[in-house]
Amino acid sequence: MRIISKLQGGIAGLLASVALAGAGAASAEGVTLEYWVYSDFAAGDALALQQQFIAEFVAKHPGVKINITGKGDDDLTAGEIAGAASNTLPDVFMNGLNVGAQLASVGALSNIYDKWMAMPESFRAQFNADAIKSCTPKPDKMYCLPYTGFGSLLFRNLTVLQKAGVDTSKVPATWTEWFEQMKKVKAAGLYAMPDTTMVFNSVAEIYGTTGDASNWGIDWATHKTRIDPTVMTKVLQKFIDMVPLNSGTSRNDQATKDLFIANQLAFHVVGPWVDPTYKQAAEKNGLKYDFQLVPGDTPDKHGGIKSYEIVGVSPGPHRDLAWEFATYITAKEQMGRWATLLARYNGNAAAMADPKVASQLLITKSVEAVKYAVDVQPPYFVGTVPSCYLATVVDIAAATADGKYTAAAGAKEMISQLNTCLAE
Amino acid sequence: MHLRRHLPHYLMIAPFMLLFAIFFLFPILSGFYYSFNDWNAVQPAKFVGLANYQKIIASRDFARSMWNLGTYIVITVPLGILVALGLALLVDNFTGRWAHVFRGAYFLPVVLPSFLAATIWRWIYAPNFGLLNMMLGWFGMPSVNFLNNTGSMIYCLIAVDVWASAGFNMIILLAGLKNIPTELYEAARLDGASKWQQIIHITIPMLGPVLFFVVTYGLISAMQVFDKPWLLTGSSFTTYGGRGNALLFPVMDMMGRGFGAVKFGEAAAYGFLLTLAIVMVTALMFVLRSWSDRR
Repeated sequence: MRIISKLQGGIAGLLASVALAGAGAASAEGVTLEYWVYSDFAAGDALALQQQFIAEFVAKHPGVKINITGKGDDDLTAGEIAGAASNTLPDVFMNGLNVGAQLASVGALSNIYDKWMAMPESFRAQFNADAIKSCTPKPDKMYCLPYTGFGSLLFRNLTVLQKAGVDTSKVPATWTEWFEQMKKVKAAGLYAMPDTTMVFNSVAEIYGTTGDASNWGIDWATHKTRIDPTVMTKVLQKFIDMVPLNSGTSRNDQATKDLFIANQLAFHVVGPWVDPTYKQAAEKNGLKYDFQLVPGDTPDKHGGIKSYEIVGVSPGPHRDLAWEFATYITAKEQMGRWATLLARYNGNAAAMADPKVASQLLITKSVEAVKYAVDVQPPYFVGTVPSCYLATVVDIAAATADGKYTAAAGAKEMISQLNTCLAE
Repeated sequence: MHLRRHLPHYLMIAPFMLLFAIFFLFPILSGFYYSFNDWNAVQPAKFVGLANYQKIIASRDFARSMWNLGTYIVITVPLGILVALGLALLVDNFTGRWAHVFRGAYFLPVVLPSFLAATIWRWIYAPNFGLLNMMLGWFGMPSVNFLNNTGSMIYCLIAVDVWASAGFNMIILLAGLKNIPTELYEAARLDGASKWQQIIHITIPMLGPVLFFVVTYGLISAMQVFDKPWLLTGSSFTTYGGRGNALLFPVMDMMGRGFGAVKFGEAAAYGFLLTLAIVMVTALMFVLRSWSDRR
């Protein structure tokens, strides 16, 4: 009797397994996943590798089709918000952490917490813990998997520094040493830095040289800024000191890159995405440059910012398959190949530690930079940072550099205006 | 009987009316409805009455964008038309190949993609080594950070806009100039009228309807200015308007409220305030024109 019962149970289990497998295959059969990526990931070698990932995934999921579409930053955001409103969201898509709150508020992002927890520990352990924390605003809410990322680096034009009599073998270890080198560059009739008060990210990069994660970002519970007035006073003083030394162009301007390539600009604090341009200039025009960690106030501290592009899954009918695809493209093997191709840091720590990937200097420096850098607009997925917040930081930093405020008065005014902005 | 007689006509315009209703009327009416609601495009709309309108009108950004818009319109529309008229008169004097060359050259900025035009102008305005600052340097003048100086930013935009729009207006005005009978000029010349007198007493009055179109179109376009200030300031949905919001304009603010802050009810209200302003200005233009015709 017991044997019959066991047999019955076994047969039932077998049938259930067959049925589930069949159902799985049936649910994937004829399914088309829409996959939106950044436009530079949908061109050239990057597209070829993305298509290879897709082909590999499809080979394991017969009958599935995946359409990849490249879009610019604002187009991704607009498309994903509009898609959420009209039920035409792509199944898997990318964007930046900084718009995570907007996407979560319109329901564009599935809460993937349960799916994430259901993944084997060997998968979950692959990712950078801070990046996963950024995707997880509450213990039971997780909205993304980290994809590519960056930590700011200090790109140095070695020719300019040599012209200025700076010993290029001596990497500045502190802000004081760095500032001394900037002054030497200026004395040689060249530009030391871009204007770091022109965009929010460059203000944040310099803030990172003095401040840290504990005094940066927004406290959404009280709707107040977490910027510390003492830290901001020191940072604003740095902007005042740098006024005579800067090129007047922003960190993001093409003109800044051109000045660097033309041996007119000594330092450029920015993400690793400028490296291909500088590398090409090195090969074609003999540009001599390197990249280092951004010096902080003390030798054990470094400045700069960090952030991640994210992969989100929409709560559509194909969310299970979409999640499977998202985990496939973000897994160690794919992220390792992706990092090797682009020489870009990403959120898969296991891939970054792979010897083949870690042999790339830009990646190892980025891995180090990310450890020290402050997040751009933390915390993510909690509240939408109002435009007045970002504008106030930039406006007061620039006004202080222009002499409208002393550093202390500027910091006080900035914090007051930021709190008013958040209260509104 | 009446319906039967006109049925074919109604059927003929039905496709247009249907598409108009779907793609124009419905979005306009639904936008009007949402302007009275707190709505993030996904959650059910919550009726808030006039709160969105009140919030927008009371906001600092609205006041700033309206001030910028007023300054921009007052300068860019007349200046743009003057430059276009000057170019049209110049090109009208050329014949044959040269006419084509100049017409093509002046029209080039119109067909240039905005992002390319903005990149070129960002280079021209760049501090220290930009073309404009290099020229200032020849005269011993200090470098100006044109696109980061709240006093100069709007004039930089106006220069770009006049440069970009002059070619389009020139072509329209040129077509108007070609329609002026040459006999009028011949008669004026026989009467001893100078070139200037011919322009004032013949060209401008005869261009009246064309000028009315150019001015009205220029005003409507100016009120919707978006791409050039957006690109010149390197704006995105989360940060826009440039330093001190010196290049913040209504459509930019509306986009930011919509896709940056995900407040589509507010964005819809903003759109209707702007539409109302455009309708009022256009109506005023027609009233002025009919008043001028009656005189």
